[in-house]
Amino acid sequence: MAKKIASTQAGLGRNNEPPLLILTSLASGAKHGYALTKDIETFAGVSLGPGALYGAIARLEERQLIEPTPSEDRRQPYCITASGRAALADAVREMRALSDVGASRLGLRLSARRTGPAIAQTGDAR
Amino acid sequence: MTGADRFERLVRWFPPRWRERYGDGMIALLEDTYGDADVPRRARVALIRTAVIERVREFGLVGTASGANDRLRAGSLAILCGWACFMVAGADFAKFSEHWSASTPRAHHALPSLGYLIVQDAGAVGIVVVLFAALLTAPSAWRYVRAGHWTSVRRPVVRSVVAGASVVAFTVGLAVWAHGLSTSDRNGGLLVYEIAFVLWCVAVVVALALATGAALSVTRQLDLARRTLRLLSGLALVLSAAMIAIVAGTVLWWVSEALYAPHFLRQGIGSGIISVSSTFPLSLIIAAALMLLGLGIAATGVIRLVPSLRRREALA
Repeated sequence: MAKKIASTQAGLGRNNEPPLLILTSLASGAKHGYALTKDIETFAGVSLGPGALYGAIARLEERQLIEPTPSEDRRQPYCITASGRAALADAVREMRALSDVGASRLGLRLSARRTGPAIAQTGDAR
Repeated sequence: MTGADRFERLVRWFPPRWRERYGDGMIALLEDTYGDADVPRRARVALIRTAVIERVREFGLVGTASGANDRLRAGSLAILCGWACFMVAGADFAKFSEHWSASTPRAHHALPSLGYLIVQDAGAVGIVVVLFAALLTAPSAWRYVRAGHWTSVRRPVVRSVVAGASVVAFTVGLAVWAHGLSTSDRNGGLLVYEIAFVLWCVAVVVALALATGAALSVTRQLDLARRTLRLLSGLALVLSAAMIAIVAGTVLWWVSEALYAPHFLRQGIGSGIISVSSTFPLSLIIAAALMLLGLGIAATGVIRLVPSLRRREALA
């Protein structure tokens, strides 16, 4: 049997689910709600509504994967924590493993550069 | 109404603690996203859905954030909510079925009698269980009030007591009035009495809802000992079993009556509110729907409670 791929992606849900999208967005720096929705729309083409966004933010904060950063106005920015980076790295590795299996079974050659070492660096960055 | 007011109204769907933590950020996001434009209906519905989920989560019924104690408490309280539905359903069933015995042939009394007896006995067990649970939590509630926290539970408790007292007064008045009326007047012959009866039913449902709400508000804030929580959880499971027995008894009675005394269901003797024309009278359909709703809520509570109870037993 082929290598079993974990389906939970470090407990962050499927690759288009808000927690994973938020962590991916915050990996490039702290953002507040509106900046998050715009960034996610740009890189994933997913439009997150305020309810879905804040529901996911609350869960991620509860799990200490993100944390608020100081703010002087009502727009509360959030940044990814070390455990958030580790969880995102796990999720990305799982997705990578899944895409490798899919590509090999379809006989595709993925043009993108392998990100394994880069992911490891990201995971250890904090 | 200003834009901020509109958004604040939407955010009010969320529980207070959540609003305190995320409310400002959410309003800022809504302002940035929609400005002066209307919030689309789809986004509004999604927001309200998230708010309801947050309320359920804060109650402790879903999510992993709450501890084992909170889960036991939330599961037990959900079962109590389910029981409140059964109280209303039971009153409806009792009123509808009050003269079934006279309308059912003697030779076919065994099955409906058994069903009716199960409903009555399980109902009595449920009431005793709820009273016992109230007694168990009473000392903690008293300590809580004496510690100066009365203001945090005053509103729901006072509302519940006022509603309960009003219903008692209403019931006495209605009973005295009904005593002077003929059977025909009491069962659809006198419109004023019909209206008063419907109002009484509404008052009972409201009083029951307020009493359940007060019980939830108070119990959620009490510092309950581990042993008390375990006892309450056990009682909640007995209450769930009583609900299942009530559903089984109701079904048995209903099917037996439909087989042996369909005229009773058709005539709807005792319903007093709506004239019925089939073996599926509206009163019984409402009672059954309420029971199913109650069972659903209680099942959520059991699912929440049992794993926590097992984990605690393993740790004990």
